[in-house]
Amino acid sequence: MLGVKKFLAITLVLALVVLGVAAKVKPIKLGAVLPLGDITGRQAANAMKLAVKEINAAGGVLGRPLELIIVDDEMNPSKGAAAIDKLATIDKVDFFIGGMSSGVHLAQIPILKKYQKITVWIGAASHLCEKALAGADWYFHLHPWDYQQGAGYAIGWKQILEKYPQVKFDRVFLAYEEGAFGTASYKAYLAMLEQAKQGEGPYVGLVKEFKGESFKSAAFGGGDYRAVLRLAKEWNPDAFIWAGYDADALPMMAQAKEIGFAPPIFIGAPPGWPADFGKSPLSEGVVLYGMWAPSLNKVSPVAEHFYNAYVKEFGEEPATYFAPLGYTNVYFLVEGIKKAGTLEKEALIKALEQVEYESPLGETLKIAPSAVIKHQGFTTQKILQWQNGKQEVIWPFEVQTAEFIYPFPKWEGR
Amino acid sequence: MAETKTHGRHQFTLPLLAIVALILIFIFKPYAVIYGVQRGSLYALIAMPLALTLGIVGILNLAHGDFLTLGAYIAYWIFNSTGLDPLLSIFAVAPLLFVVGAGLYKITVSKVLRAPLLNQLLLTFGIAMILEEVINLIWTSRPRNVYVNYASASASIGGFRFGTYEFSYLLAAVGVLVLLRLFLKHTRLGKAAFAVGQNPKGAKIVGINVEMIYLLIFSISVGIVGIAAGLTLPRMSIFPLFGSPFTLKSFCLAAMAGLGNLTGILWSGLALGIGEALVQSIEGYSGWSDIVFFGVLIAVITIRSYRGSYV
Repeated sequence: MLGVKKFLAITLVLALVVLGVAAKVKPIKLGAVLPLGDITGRQAANAMKLAVKEINAAGGVLGRPLELIIVDDEMNPSKGAAAIDKLATIDKVDFFIGGMSSGVHLAQIPILKKYQKITVWIGAASHLCEKALAGADWYFHLHPWDYQQGAGYAIGWKQILEKYPQVKFDRVFLAYEEGAFGTASYKAYLAMLEQAKQGEGPYVGLVKEFKGESFKSAAFGGGDYRAVLRLAKEWNPDAFIWAGYDADALPMMAQAKEIGFAPPIFIGAPPGWPADFGKSPLSEGVVLYGMWAPSLNKVSPVAEHFYNAYVKEFGEEPATYFAPLGYTNVYFLVEGIKKAGTLEKEALIKALEQVEYESPLGETLKIAPSAVIKHQGFTTQKILQWQNGKQEVIWPFEVQTAEFIYPFPKWEGR
Repeated sequence: MAETKTHGRHQFTLPLLAIVALILIFIFKPYAVIYGVQRGSLYALIAMPLALTLGIVGILNLAHGDFLTLGAYIAYWIFNSTGLDPLLSIFAVAPLLFVVGAGLYKITVSKVLRAPLLNQLLLTFGIAMILEEVINLIWTSRPRNVYVNYASASASIGGFRFGTYEFSYLLAAVGVLVLLRLFLKHTRLGKAAFAVGQNPKGAKIVGINVEMIYLLIFSISVGIVGIAAGLTLPRMSIFPLFGSPFTLKSFCLAAMAGLGNLTGILWSGLALGIGEALVQSIEGYSGWSDIVFFGVLIAVITIRSYRGSYV
């Protein structure tokens, strides 16, 4: 009888130990939603996997491994919203991460509000998303909002004008694709320049004359930019900006060459660049905006580590800034968990507010309030320039990797 | 006799009006005419094979534009693997697409020729979806380009500078039109195909192998798309959905020109191309080009239906 009691006691102790160990190693679940059919989402997902692999190899967080569950939103708002529900109810994730499209995110916000889990989002630049998230203190947004990007460019150009006095930025022509993306860019510029006329905002004293004209993007069956380029050529701007998609990039340059349009500053502002753009001689001297470039490897050890690890892991180069942003997404959250020493919501929010993470994007990520939300990460993009087939950082000057080529090189010989 | 004279006068009125309009546009917006002719020729070049299939096989191929995408990716792959110029790769891409067309016809299209129209549409729509997804899986959604110097070549007449490469679309469209007309009017096989298009049952009764004609015409159509693929590659970005807008435009041209009217497709393409370019050249109204495109299409179809109802 005594033997049976002893046996039961030992079994009970063993069961408790096993349960305890199991509870201790229960992974911390990160639920990511990304558009995997698009290069931005695919590479962000890869970078997240890389970050999780590195962190788990180093012993995990709070003694627990990370588990990454990725759901494809297919750039579809209803699928993006359903993905949040699935991650919360079926996968029972601890945190939401990821993001790309603003349209998808607008549909996700009501669902995120339902669960109110800590969310660290790397996409969705539209201020409409920001407005919808007013008061959500569990929400951390790492990508600059659209108006912050516009203001950041103004700061950058003002500093460039100071450093390079020969540069002029008085007359700006914007060619924008006629869809939502381009039209939003045009309206944002108009609003900021209107503000500048009243003596307010970042564009005061920068742009004196502005003109915009739409075109149909190749992404939607267009691709003939000659009319808008000719209009710009006749207007003779100091800076020509086109806001379209990656599919417009090289044909835009080829058609500018065809009509002999070479403004002193030629800026391209697509969300991503085509695979072969750098290989073309037409890319030389084109200015672009972005959060990251491989050339940051020259000035940032974290960027260099990320780049090499990504290439080694996936056998391809990270080609979009969503890759280092995805990597930052995971590391930022993990730094917060480490700092908090717990997954408890309030403590973790406080810890994330204090995190200073040196990111592969060439700048330290710190949280500060934006115009509407309490937790905003990055606020500016960088001014880059295609030089010898590579994107070089022109501004901020702290991470500048090459001198600014000005004016835009003539077409002859290209 | 008087009626014939009136009819004769009417026959010349429309082309005369078109020529006057063209001269006026050229005086005020010369670039619109040049760009319109170039772009319109491309529309016509891509639309002609669709019209050929529609007119003879009687099937509306919703995967038409996706064959253009496939051809462009094959040319891109050839360029990257061998360095072969995209224009020269036409000689490989067109036959390859001919074979792809033949294979798809045998496996799928031939099975639905007697099926209701909706089934045919669903089948070709399905083929389009599969092609787009397969291309996306192989090459991803990231746009690809081939840069060749001649694609941005230009010429100047006085202070008038314009691109020359896109005139190759006009040459190709005229070339394809002439060859197709020669084939259909002056070869035994072409005459047989013409007969099948007119009356398939009658053609079968007189001993024409209708199935073989369908196979041939469908394959030729897909093969011709390969020519357009090679021509557009140096000039445009390619991505999985690159060709799909051309399906709708091609169908519009076929509808505008009338079933089986290949020459009409060239004229329709030029008219719509110039109309589009003209709208694009008007400051502040460039976004209206699609409205004009479909507005002209609706007007032409409506006018034709009215005329048809009075004849």
